[in-house]
Amino acid sequence: MSLAEERTRTGDDSRLAQSAAHIKRNRRAYLLIAPAAVFLVAVVGYPILETFRLSLYRSPADSTIETFVGLQHYVDIFNSDIFYRLLWQTGRWVAVGVAGKTLLGLLIAVHLKGDIRGRKFFRTAFLIPWGIPYAISAVVFRWIEHPQFGYLNAILLKLGVIEQGIGILGSPDIAWLGVVVADIWIGTPFMAIIFLAGLQSIPQDLYEAAAIDGAERWHQFRYITLPQLKSVILMATLLSTIWTFVSFDVIWTMTGGGPISTTATLVIHIYQVGLQNGNLGLGAAYSVIGFLLLLLFAVVYLRVYTRGGEEL
Amino acid sequence: MMRENTTEEASGQTLDRRRLLQALGAGGMIAVAGCTGGGDGSESDSSGEGSGESGDDTQSVQLLTMGVGDNIKQFFEENNAAFESEYDVDVEFTSVTWDNARQTVNNRVDGGQAPDVSRWPARWIPQLVGKDALEPVDDLMDGEFGEKFAEGVANGTMYNGSHYGVPWAASNKCLYYNKDAFEAAGLDPENPALDTWEDMLAAAKALTESDEVSVPALGLAGADAIETGSQYYHYHWSHGADLVDDEGMPVVNSDGAVEALSFYTDLHLEHGVTQSSPLSSTRQDIRQLFENGDLGMVIGHVYTGLNITESQENGEVDFDYGIVQVPKGPAGRYSLFTIDTLGIFSQSEHKDIARDLIRFYFDEERRFQYSKQKGFLPVVEAVGEREYFSESKNWGPFVEAGQYARARPKLSNFSQFNDRMVQAIQEALAGQKSPQKALNDAQSDLEDAMN
Repeated sequence: MSLAEERTRTGDDSRLAQSAAHIKRNRRAYLLIAPAAVFLVAVVGYPILETFRLSLYRSPADSTIETFVGLQHYVDIFNSDIFYRLLWQTGRWVAVGVAGKTLLGLLIAVHLKGDIRGRKFFRTAFLIPWGIPYAISAVVFRWIEHPQFGYLNAILLKLGVIEQGIGILGSPDIAWLGVVVADIWIGTPFMAIIFLAGLQSIPQDLYEAAAIDGAERWHQFRYITLPQLKSVILMATLLSTIWTFVSFDVIWTMTGGGPISTTATLVIHIYQVGLQNGNLGLGAAYSVIGFLLLLLFAVVYLRVYTRGGEEL
Repeated sequence: MMRENTTEEASGQTLDRRRLLQALGAGGMIAVAGCTGGGDGSESDSSGEGSGESGDDTQSVQLLTMGVGDNIKQFFEENNAAFESEYDVDVEFTSVTWDNARQTVNNRVDGGQAPDVSRWPARWIPQLVGKDALEPVDDLMDGEFGEKFAEGVANGTMYNGSHYGVPWAASNKCLYYNKDAFEAAGLDPENPALDTWEDMLAAAKALTESDEVSVPALGLAGADAIETGSQYYHYHWSHGADLVDDEGMPVVNSDGAVEALSFYTDLHLEHGVTQSSPLSSTRQDIRQLFENGDLGMVIGHVYTGLNITESQENGEVDFDYGIVQVPKGPAGRYSLFTIDTLGIFSQSEHKDIARDLIRFYFDEERRFQYSKQKGFLPVVEAVGEREYFSESKNWGPFVEAGQYARARPKLSNFSQFNDRMVQAIQEALAGQKSPQKALNDAQSDLEDAMN
């Protein structure tokens, strides 16, 4: 045995011994969290592993027989145009949705922080969209945008802006915008509340000092508010990105992914392939890809965030 | 108010019980024809296992159905309560929307939580049989109970030589037209001349061009929904096109199919005779427009007429309507015929009580009330013989339409097939692809999916 190998082994043994000692020392704590850990493995770990396993099998809708196909589903997916279209549509949906929610949330939070009349009322009122079940909000928006029965078209027709109802959700070019608007309306209150909490934690002294130095409101916002809010904004947008990425009910309720699949995201497609059409194996493969994409995004995002030595 | 509908007079025909039964029988046979691919006619391997259940511990039975609206909710509430009282069991009743029906049942079957009894479109039987999820009910259908049904209807629930359900409901389609709008446009509301698609287009143009008519001429479904296919297939079939061949392989891009889709899309893109934005409109949307008096023509079920009649009685709408057969094309006339079944799931631990529940719901009076309230063609012969149907303004044309019945093919992956067809319809309607290109692409994708 070489000296280097001996050192490595000694190092490994030492680490093992340390770990064993650590576990022994904290035996009671590990015992206490064991039930929760087992529960988590059962309800989170098992479905994830099962999805991975299922993605390697073909399981047609009309049979209970699963056939092992290895990575064939992944090959098919990466060779299909649908996948890249879905990536684009999902990216568009997430980017515009999260950006809209963040900007509006910030705007609302900044105004709610100020000493405006009826502040308490507005703080409560802005929470309402978030408190309504998403599917119900989606139904409301679907009706607002309906070409024959909707309020939006009725108002535009009344004003003489249009001659006949516009089917926003039926237009392949703009349907996704009609859905994004609903998603932004639903998700903005969460962002506003988080930002408001962040704003209230910024010391007032900073603004006072800046004012004495002659800083305008925009400069105060740019050089005090935004840097101070950085960690809150990053965490809120990370959460919002994940939630928007996996969002299903708003799109499904409003358009079902149509027209011509132009509002379908990866999640909608997973549902259609796996559950509606019964191709569980292919649906599972799409799920695994979606899971890995989200994981990759979260890791990169947090790495960028913690690069300056900041901690979560 | 215009004179009452004279469709029967116009056709010079009268309706009687025999015609009703023939119509239903014809429809049922056609539904069966749609599922013969793959069937080998072999003997059922069912052993009527239900009798082996003890039944002593059956305290509840789960009944799952779809699309229970206000017009039928009370029917189920009252009858479930009556069954609970009579049999001393609990009925766990659930209704889901049609959009979620297939997924709900599949999830419950795959998760080992199948309901005891469920309604299920007959065309979806192959998928469940493939999963060994359905219990054959030959013991019911081959006995005295099965004699309640016309042969064609009863056979509509057969697959591979066994009955996998009891016929629960049947429906077909006719063309509704707004008599007030027709009269305002100078068309004869009592003799609307809507025999062919070209006739329908001519009438639609007249309605559109008339200054006296403010409603869109024709309802066209184009939304991303399964029913868009249901509405379109009338055009497809009547132009001599099929969906699958005798081997069950897709044949959706024939010359006839391209003609049909071209005609369908031109109604909107070239002639502009439809409501705005068909791509936003589901079948329910255009039905609702017509029922409100805001549309000139629409292809619909019996219940459209029943709904309008009820609204008229309540003073909610004030327009007159007529019902004629779905127009014919170069290759004939077809009316989409659908049979839904009530089946028992293999996973059920209460098969005896499930059979009792089925027998209970097939009491003649209950079936009459169901057909009457829900607006589905009666599946029980004795119910169909009632004068209520043969003498009704709303029901008469639909009884006559039985001779034009055609069912969608029974494919285990029909949902996927239909989704792809709807996509092709949407691509053509949006002008993204020519009908030929849209159907060629659909054919290619379907071939890949079905090989």
